[in-house]
Amino acid sequence: MEINEIQESEFVTLKPVGDLDANSSIELDIHIRRLLDAGQINLLIDCAGVPYMSSAGLGVFVSYLDEFKDQKGKLVLSNLTPNVAEVFDLLGLSKLVTIINSKEEVANFFKG
Amino acid sequence: MKAHIKVACSKQNLALIRDFVKSRLKDMKISTKESDQIVLATDEACANCIIHHHQCDHTTSIEVSLYKQKDIVYIEIKDKGHAFPIHNYEPNNLEDIVKKRAKGGLGIMLINKLMDEVQIEEHLDHFIYKLGKYISTSPDR
Repeated sequence: MEINEIQESEFVTLKPVGDLDANSSIELDIHIRRLLDAGQINLLIDCAGVPYMSSAGLGVFVSYLDEFKDQKGKLVLSNLTPNVAEVFDLLGLSKLVTIINSKEEVANFFKG
Repeated sequence: MKAHIKVACSKQNLALIRDFVKSRLKDMKISTKESDQIVLATDEACANCIIHHHQCDHTTSIEVSLYKQKDIVYIEIKDKGHAFPIHNYEPNNLEDIVKKRAKGGLGIMLINKLMDEVQIEEHLDHFIYKLGKYISTSPDR
């Protein structure tokens, strides 16, 4: 899986490209772990390039929720494709994971 | 008529299974929304077999079949050994999964939410996960 990393002033953006399934989600998991271990506790995952996400992909985000919280950091998802957003809704994950779509809101969220 | 594919138990083959199911559902003129749901449930059940039953041993295999009976699309996943009780498994609730920082636990929840029928057929030397979904009559316009 291709994962593009962009360093912003307040946070890091990750842009995974491709299906996020039981095979590819490991790469995203490793990438997030590496950033966290390096002290990067504010992370935006831009999912515009992810047309499909299975429970393995969802599980990566869910498994980090408490760790970001413990470290007083922020994990945000943005630009979910409609069918991926539907899966988040179906499981009730939209209530647990922060999902923000506008650039301005994202910037304000990390500043705040 | 059943469409059928046999794949080695490698996680890389999950994409192959998804493409196979998606393509057959397109031939059946199933709507995109229902097709996406069936593909996801199939992916979850196959991942369960490949990872947990076979530990990704690519020298072993599973078989996936797909057919329509009246207004229900059935997916059958044939595997050897003993079935995990996906049809009556009580997963942890979401808060517990978050607390445990677990990466798994959502797949079976998804299968049961996405499909209308989830059954297991136990045979002498194999079992079959049988997943059924009622299909609306209107495909995508």
